[in-house]
Amino acid sequence: MKKLLAVALMFLAVAAIADELAVGAKAPAFALANAVDGKTYAFKPGDGKVSVVFFTCNQCPYAKAFEPRLIEIAKQYQAKGVIFYAIDPNDENIYADETLANMKDRAVSKGYPYPYLKDGDSTIARAYGARVTPHVYVIDPTGTLRYRGYVDDSARPAERTKTGLTDALDSLLSNRPVANTETRAFGCTIKWKKSA
Amino acid sequence: MRTFAPFAVFCLSAATAFGATLVEIREPSRVADSFSPKALVRVVNVWATWCVPCVEEMDDLRAISTMFGTRVSLVGVSLDDMIPGDRGAIRQKVQHFLDNKRIQYINIYYRGSSDALADTLRFNGEIPITIIYDRSGREVWRQQGKIDRNKAIAEIRKQLGRNR
Repeated sequence: MKKLLAVALMFLAVAAIADELAVGAKAPAFALANAVDGKTYAFKPGDGKVSVVFFTCNQCPYAKAFEPRLIEIAKQYQAKGVIFYAIDPNDENIYADETLANMKDRAVSKGYPYPYLKDGDSTIARAYGARVTPHVYVIDPTGTLRYRGYVDDSARPAERTKTGLTDALDSLLSNRPVANTETRAFGCTIKWKKSA
Repeated sequence: MRTFAPFAVFCLSAATAFGATLVEIREPSRVADSFSPKALVRVVNVWATWCVPCVEEMDDLRAISTMFGTRVSLVGVSLDDMIPGDRGAIRQKVQHFLDNKRIQYINIYYRGSSDALADTLRFNGEIPITIIYDRSGREVWRQQGKIDRNKAIAEIRKQLGRNR
């Protein structure tokens, strides 16, 4: 019986990732406030640059586990002209960690090399179809989504076997198609703003 | 008081002595091995101590496990190992959590690829997720996100009714 169940589980091994912005679709634009300096940062897809939009937050341990890696990647690829936007889509009424003041504290203390934007009503997260933090999207210079999913397949550097985000960036920067366009983002469920 | 004191000591000892079962697995296909072969219904719950809704639903899962006894085999799969850090300490944290919650069903400290586990169980990376299988191993119900206790119980009862 155990074998039968194991076979049945394996037989159904087709991962369905639904309701996310499709690879090949036009990325949604946004204009959001940066928690660090209060200024509004606008992303206009098709601005001629490779861009990384990723959803993260203050509260999620898994998002925090990827923070050093994202900082490292951002510094490395900003030097190659890639633009990074970190977006916190969590409702601050659910977690006080997610207020603009707490976001600013984290961004400053960790030395974020990118703006830390507040998606207060989760509108942008919904537009991208983000589900968890961290959830990463890579957009090409024409504004087309070319990669979505995880940063890497493991938050433990020694056990990392797949590097989804940097693979996508390397491909786009060398004008090659992205080989692995979709990966499965793990993390904490986004704490959606409840509609009034 | 004379009779109460020894009784209190006994209760305290019993409470601290409780040890939940936590086994380490790296291969996702081995999750199925943890189900009781005699159970009529199998339930798997993927969770982590760092996942707030996972922690919130743990009392409901314990109640479901207690309610149906050996007819239902519930297996928890902890993804705590996904967070970098000392494995021994993380595993100890999971063990303490299960002990404090007095969880009696088997739990797995999963050390393998999270992607491979999600392929096997067909979920998109969000936890918690709870899946119910019938006796033949066919999936009959799943809840992505925090479990609805009444719906889960109703589905289990339905499956048990088919096995009478």
